[in-house]
Order: sequence, then C-alpha cells, then structure tokens
Amino acid sequence: MKTIRFLSALLAAGAIASGEPADSARTAEHDYDAPVPGSYTLPVIKPAADGALLDTSGKPLRLRELTRSRVTVLSFIYTRCAAANACPYATGVLLQLHRASSADSDLAKHLRLVSISFDPVNDTPERMSAWSSLSAQHPAAAPWHFVTTHSQTELDPILTAYGQAVDKKQNPLAPTGPLNHTLRVFLVDSAGNIRNIYSSGTLDVRLVLADVRTLLLESIRDPAPTANHGSHATK
Amino acid sequence: MKSDSQSNINWAKRLGHYILTLAALWACGPGITRAQADETCSSPYLARIEGQEEFIYVWTLGVEGLGDGSDKLVVVDAKPGSPTYGKVIDTHSVGGRNEAHHGGFTDDRRQLWLSGLESSKIFIFDVYSNPAHPRYLKTIENFAKTTGGAVGPHGVYALPGRVLVPCLSNGKDQSGRTALVEFSNDGDYIATHWLPTKDEPRGVAGAKSADGYGYDARVLPRKNVLLTSSFTGLNNYMRSFGDLVKDAEAMKQFGSSMVLWNFHTRQPKKAFNVPGAPLEIRWAWGEKHNYAFTATALTSKLWLCFEDDKGEWQAKETASIGGENGVLPVDISLSADDRTLFVDCFGDGKCRVFDVADPHHPKQIYERPVGKQLNMVSQSWDGKRLYFSSSLLARWDKGGDDNEQFVKAFAWDGHELKPGFALDFTTLKLGRPHHMLFGSTRVGK
Repeated sequence: MKTIRFLSALLAAGAIASGEPADSARTAEHDYDAPVPGSYTLPVIKPAADGALLDTSGKPLRLRELTRSRVTVLSFIYTRCAAANACPYATGVLLQLHRASSADSDLAKHLRLVSISFDPVNDTPERMSAWSSLSAQHPAAAPWHFVTTHSQTELDPILTAYGQAVDKKQNPLAPTGPLNHTLRVFLVDSAGNIRNIYSSGTLDVRLVLADVRTLLLESIRDPAPTANHGSHATK
Repeated sequence: MKSDSQSNINWAKRLGHYILTLAALWACGPGITRAQADETCSSPYLARIEGQEEFIYVWTLGVEGLGDGSDKLVVVDAKPGSPTYGKVIDTHSVGGRNEAHHGGFTDDRRQLWLSGLESSKIFIFDVYSNPAHPRYLKTIENFAKTTGGAVGPHGVYALPGRVLVPCLSNGKDQSGRTALVEFSNDGDYIATHWLPTKDEPRGVAGAKSADGYGYDARVLPRKNVLLTSSFTGLNNYMRSFGDLVKDAEAMKQFGSSMVLWNFHTRQPKKAFNVPGAPLEIRWAWGEKHNYAFTATALTSKLWLCFEDDKGEWQAKETASIGGENGVLPVDISLSADDRTLFVDCFGDGKCRVFDVADPHHPKQIYERPVGKQLNMVSQSWDGKRLYFSSSLLARWDKGGDDNEQFVKAFAWDGHELKPGFALDFTTLKLGRPHHMLFGSTRVGK
C-alpha cells in the first residue's frame, strides 16, 4: 500500500513537472482545499533581517538584496540533510514553486526563491553552485538563489534573527544527517517584511502559492503598504 | 560528448528527482520519520523529546504566607535512575501572584512561556541552554493594550515561528468575550483574532451559537482546521467559587460554544452549541481520525467534534461523566493510539478512564481517586506515565483539609493507575501546582 501511495505521490510530483497546476491536489498530509488568494490577510511578523552571504561563485552579497523588491520564499537548508520531512522536502516545495513560476508570468516576474545553507563548512559556494543547477531546468522561471556564508561567524546572527534552530547531533553519522534543526521557510513581501513562517506541518505548496498570490494582489491594491507590526483587524 | 550545460541539466534532473522522491516519501503518509515521544497533547508543530521525559515543569500559583508567596516555575526531576528522581530540583519565582495557569513551548522547544490569568503577563524562560535549570528571559506586559483589548492569556500553543495564545476575557468589561492572539517566538505581537458572536459573526456558519468566549485552541494540520472552546471571563474566574455558584446571573456567563476555524486564514467557519463550558480539546493523532474530544465542566459530558461522511464538521454529546450530579471534569488526556481518554474530575478528585476506540461511544473502564481535588493531567507518549496536579484556580480550589496541593506520578498498565512519586506542594512551601509540561536534554527533529 505504501508503495502505491509513494508512486502516486511521485506521479503527483511528475504531474507538476509536466505542467499541471501545483495547487490542484489534496494529499494525505494536506487534506483540504487551498484558500482563494486575496480572501484573507497575512499580518507582518517582523522585518526580514540582513546578513553577509556568499553566492555560488563565492562573491559576497547581502541577504537584504534577496529579500526586497520581489515576494521571496526563503528556505534554510543544508545539503547533507537526508530527513525526508526536512530540507529535501523544503527544497522539493521550492522546486515545485519554481516549476509553477515557469508557467506563470506574474510569478516569474515577481517571485524569488532563496535556499540558504546553515552548514557553511560543507555547503561551500561550489557545493551550492552544484545545487543551483536545479534551477537550470526552467530558465524562464522566477530566480532561485542558492547562497551560503563564509563561516559560522557570519551565519550565527542570521540564524538568531530568523529563529532558525540548528544543533549538532550526538551521532554525526546519523543516516538523516549530522544536524538537528527546525524546518523553517519564510515568506517575505517585497518591502522586506516576513509575512508567514512555514514548517513541515504547514509547508504545503498550495498554501505557499496562495500566500504569494495574496501578497501580489495586495501590492496591486496597495502598492506601498504600511509595515505595521501586528494587526487588530480581525475583530 | 555532452556540453557542460546539458550535463548540468541532467544532474539537476537527477537531483530534483531525488529531492522529490524524499519529499514524496514524507507526503505519502505520516509517521515515517516522526519521533514517537513527548506529551500526548502537545502541539503537532512542537519539536519532540526523544525518549522519556527528564523533567516536569510545573507552573505554580503562589500562596500568600506560604514560602515566598510568589508564582513560580518548579522543576521536578523525572529521569529514571537519577538520585533526585521525583524531587524538586529547581524553582524560579516570578515575583508576585498573577493567577498562574497554563504555559507552552515555542515550536523549537527553546522557550517556555507561562501565562498569568489575572495580570495578563506572560513570563518567558529559556529551557534550551540548561533544561534542568530554566533561565528567565523576559516578560510580556501591557497585554491588553498590545492586543487591542484581550486579557487573560490562557494557553500558549506552538505554531511555526510563533505562538497562539487563546485568551479568556477582555479588558473592557472583563466578560468572556475574548480573542486569540499571536506572538512571534521573539515575543513580538503579530495579530488578534476575536471569537465570533451572533452580532459579529465574521462569516461563521451557525452564528446563533457563537458566544465569543474562548478557552483552548488546537490545530489538526492535516485538515487545516483550528478548534476553539469556551469558558468564562475574568469577572467569574477571579471570583470566589462559593459566591459565584450562588449568583444565578453570573452562572449564565459561561461559554457554550466551540468554533471550527480555517487555520491558515484564521477565519471562523462553523460554530457549535456545546453547553456547559467545553474546556480542553484533544485532537486524535491517527492519520484518518478526523475528530477531537472535549469535556464540558458544568454539565459533566464528553463531546466529540468530528468530520462526518459528507465532509461536514459536527459536534455531539457522547457520554456522561460521573453520573447525574456532576463532577466538574476539568482536564482530559488522550493516549497516542487514540484508544484511551483520561478525565480528571475536580469535584470528587477522581481520574476516570474511558475506552474511546469507538469515539462516538465512549465507555468508562476505570476510575480511582487521585486526591481530594484534581485538575491537570499530562501523559507520556507511550501511555505508561501520567502526572497529576491539584489546583484549578486560586479562588476555586477547595478549602480546609480538602485543599490538597500536589503533583503525583502514576503508572498506567492498561488496566489501573499505580502510584509513583508524590510531592506535597504545601509542605514544600511552593504553592498551588497547575499546568505540567515535559522537558528534556534530548530534543530531536
């Protein structure tokens, strides 16, 4: 039975690759319909912090440059992670978003994807460059940046600012990878404010797409939203 | 010979396939890589303890003239084999009495937030650096002003990167009209969501049942639903229980509703009439178990909120608790296999155990006295250990010899509860123990 469900899930993933909308299907883990974009609001959680990064060629850049002017889906990962419900899952969701954006000019124009490593020793710019070839399949899609940091010194303040918990496991040879971590994916609006935070229970590509489109609709309705922190709006 | 770009694309396809395979492995069914440990009623978004709990964090109400008289976080050693097993190994007073009540962790389990129903303060502790000795970090104050009028922060429920705080009251008239409030894990305010009423239904179906009251709030992620229950306002919960029950008008001011929300959008979808103050909510864990239990304190009933065959959510009474006289059921705990429900009854101090394998037809299978008064219960994931505490509210606890204040450990073998360690919080000059949460040095993902 598990094999059948596994193949079904793979077929579902394949269907996305072949052009079917990413927001069409329920799964056992996400057994509900996605909300209509714009039918709800996403309050500001906090500003997306800045930090010192390296791109895939080893060139310095600021995280701030990757969290402004487009709606950004930012995922913290490490490439040695083999826990199915963690980094591979998050990267799989970004891959689906990337594919979806290749068929949607609005998304291609206004969305940005960022995968940022919290394992700078192993996730070198070269390693991230290899992973960045994931985005090569769809050159017309939204930009997808794979970035790392020079060292733990540059990484730590970023992890603190985003609340990304990372610990070394007692067993560095654990089959799922050497690090314990929370799964964190952030939705950042074009003004640089975090508007949603996803983890394994909420990281459903259909919800992320609905949220992205909600922010895009918001930017049309209100091109310069006030970055009010907190909302009493739902009284 | 392939070009570099073609080679890159082929590699990317293989990598993408690998990632989607791993992702699909998770998506095709729950429980594949999830840790099976921790307290059974924890938020599904919470980082899990690996193995057995090592510490019990007890949020304790201060009692005037007893010890330092302050509310305090008490740490009990629950690690088997430890020389201090079953003993208090740390206390941290917060200064003053706030009507200490419930608490909860942030999703990364690095912080423990403890709320005060009267002061509306929330005290935040670091339980990551040294779980045996939590470190005070800060206090959220000015709750009513910050939240736009909500007071009486009740629970603290971990969500990704934030916490959900269901409240009991409001600062304007201190009735049961209240809200759900969200804070970031940094302690910064995010949003307030007022419970619907028939006059301000916010699009909820069954608006005539919506009374605007709150108590518990819990999520079933798989169905993207949030369920809330309802208690009473500050006017009532800070009043002497003896006086309160003589006041017919005040006794009408209790919640009689549950509300099902779209969790992602935070929009109320359906209100249910559940009379008698439905309190704790326990969602089932099974991958196809689309239901939650609650108990009504004033009417002594078990209720089930469930998705029917047509995909509609319903609520119905399923069983009486303790006969016709009422025993004030105040806390419930569902086993991880969804088969056994423990019901703490403040009125007669008994824990009643129900077989809920058929959730629509619960059957009581066991009961035993735990103390002269009984409030909270926390159960380990393997169902073998249960911890009980005594205090309900400072002004609702019993008097005289009936005012026992304890934390007691019991072992459950599937048939009966067998006593383990017991701590007398009065003799120890600690206060009235309320909510108990599990801690450990081993927190996995």
